[in-house]
Amino acid sequence: MLDNFIFIGLPYGALALFLFVLPYRYFSNRLTWTPFSSQFLERKTLYWGAMAWHFGIVTVLLAHLTGFLAPRLVEAIISNQAFFLALENISLGLGLLALFGSVVLLFRRATAERIKAVTRIADWLILLLLIAQAATGVYISVYVRWGYQWYHYTAVPYLYSLLTFHPQIEYVSDFPFFFKLHVAGAFLILGILPFTKLVHLLYLPVGFLKDPQILYRWNFDPKEKQG
Amino acid sequence: MDVRAQIVMVFNLDKCIGCHTCSISCKNIWTDRKGAEYAWWNNVETKPGIGFPKQWEDQGKYKGGFAVKNGELKLKLGGKFATLLSMFYQPNMPKLEDYYEPFDFDYSNLYNAAESDDQPVADAISQITGKRMDTISGGPNWDDDLSGSPVYAAEDLNLEDRKIIEEYGKIFMLYLPRICNHCLHAACMASCPSKAIYKRGEDGIVLIDQNVCKGWRFCTSACPYKKVYFNWHTGKSEKCIFCYPRVETGQCNACVQSCVGKIRYVGVLLYDASQVGNALIKPDADLVQAQRALILDPKDRAVQEGARANGVSDAWLKAAISSPVYTLVKEYGLALPLHPEFRTMPMTYYIPPLSPVLASKTGAYELAEHGHGTIPPIETLRVPIGYLSSLFSAGNQEIVSDVLKKLIALRQYMRQQNLGESPDEKVLRDVSLDPEAAARLHRLFAIGGFNERNVIPPQQREEHEPAGRKGGRGFGILVKPKGGI
Ligand code: SF4
Ligand code: SF4
Repeated sequence: MLDNFIFIGLPYGALALFLFVLPYRYFSNRLTWTPFSSQFLERKTLYWGAMAWHFGIVTVLLAHLTGFLAPRLVEAIISNQAFFLALENISLGLGLLALFGSVVLLFRRATAERIKAVTRIADWLILLLLIAQAATGVYISVYVRWGYQWYHYTAVPYLYSLLTFHPQIEYVSDFPFFFKLHVAGAFLILGILPFTKLVHLLYLPVGFLKDPQILYRWNFDPKEKQG
Repeated sequence: MDVRAQIVMVFNLDKCIGCHTCSISCKNIWTDRKGAEYAWWNNVETKPGIGFPKQWEDQGKYKGGFAVKNGELKLKLGGKFATLLSMFYQPNMPKLEDYYEPFDFDYSNLYNAAESDDQPVADAISQITGKRMDTISGGPNWDDDLSGSPVYAAEDLNLEDRKIIEEYGKIFMLYLPRICNHCLHAACMASCPSKAIYKRGEDGIVLIDQNVCKGWRFCTSACPYKKVYFNWHTGKSEKCIFCYPRVETGQCNACVQSCVGKIRYVGVLLYDASQVGNALIKPDADLVQAQRALILDPKDRAVQEGARANGVSDAWLKAAISSPVYTLVKEYGLALPLHPEFRTMPMTYYIPPLSPVLASKTGAYELAEHGHGTIPPIETLRVPIGYLSSLFSAGNQEIVSDVLKKLIALRQYMRQQNLGESPDEKVLRDVSLDPEAAARLHRLFAIGGFNERNVIPPQQREEHEPAGRKGGRGFGILVKPKGGI
């Protein structure tokens, strides 16, 4: 029952929220689309929190994504024993970095006077969720070791089965409790993402990387006017 | 040649009385909102002084503007890759303390305090935390009129000799009103990863699209003039919008409208957009000259044709021809850009001040002698030329001297005329002016009315997009731009 909820109900619920709320928010009120930085008000603690958190979580997330999107590549990479060990340890380090960062951020929210002026309930919610997520992640990488090996034989096929609407939870239902917590946390975050400032992570600066520095916008097409 | 139009403001610093009326009218219209209390799109600072935000001219600290590296313009903030790496925490972003903690006063206490032997006071209340503030330690014009202060004025980066402000007889002072310069090569724009900042093709006004802005804050440090403000409540950046809703309909900006000293001029300049990049890689000393060179003569046939080809309307061309700004900036070269060495090509210009009209023969400063005119020779002026050229010509003293000489000649000539003496045209010719120029400038400086000082062609947007204008609701955003949910 619980397995069905975590591995079927939650993911589809989260996906539905993500797919419907996100475009709605994008088209109806982009004025709230911002990471809502508070560096302007407090920066000393933020430095340790935000840097550790972001660099930790971005790389760890990318590793998860690579495993999901390019399982063959991962297989090839981890066939080298030394490399595999190094990757495991680096990932654990990055996970700890993210955990440290998120705890610092929570501490900052709770203590910095000015930050209270810009704190909303959602900020607490996502901070707590993210800390829990980082903590279960670190726990898994310590106690359910060699994630690089089992991840793409279990979780990845399960995720694909979700996408094809034939959820096969037997891939993952035998995992220990903390793993299930981690999965539940992930889908929970995905589900509330469209409602919070987390939307900022969906931003990829592709246009910025290829475009000229100075941008003109015309209210009309000057060439058209001429004709 | 790629002819474009730009709407430009000129400030005549001799006439600014430092009353801050401009700042107040701007604040009342645009930034009287939560999150923007500390933001002064228009501010007036005392020079020498550290300005607002503190030490904004110090690009070692804020890394604003561009530098030339291997013949190319590069953001001092770093390239695109560096930008992405500092997305989560920006070392150069100005912080609240660099501005000030905005405050209000608890006036109700004056009425409601319990009876006692002491007068009740109105405590300062922080507009951010809502808590009582024991000490107020900063404000938008914190060093107002403190041009002799060893704490503030002496820290002014433009002073070559900090001692100068310590000698009572040598202290000098001027006011510097500042808005966003709506630069031709805006650093704020170049630094924005979301590409939210853009320059309007029609009039060159630089705007931040609030829908696109994702609050990455690079613009706040990249703008060397510190004219982008981060709204801590909405989580997005904001800046001076050149009062575009007013300007579009042919009215002038709120700061201009309310200016007590009538120091401001607004008008159109035509410029060659294809030359901007070249002009900006010149050495410091040549920057002003290069910037002047790309401003085009609106009477020139070829320029007019180029402008039309780019969609500049006849109304705009007409305005460009009678533009007071063109007269001041290009025709007679009296108005100079502020800190051209920041290399953003600012599009507001300043006529450097002569005042206080004091001179020194003996080392001590006294009211200038009435000799051939009331104005002393420029070498003896109280405001050091070096100081002015650090502000307005990237250190090129010749350019500032030229301007001051013209201003002096103009005054001498007009004085003679007003006193009924036969005016000496040679005075003008020596500085390459003529009686016609003197008459025009005199009108602009002294007696010209509102419509002479401000020639603002309306946009007539309905001409360009008639369908889009029809059936419009007539009101804008209905959702609250508060940050986060
Ligand atoms: S002065 Fe205005 S246009 Fe220029 S860089 Fe600063 S904000 Fe941008
Ligand atoms: S209103 Fe005019 S005179 Fe007064 S401070 Fe502003 S610019 Fe100067």
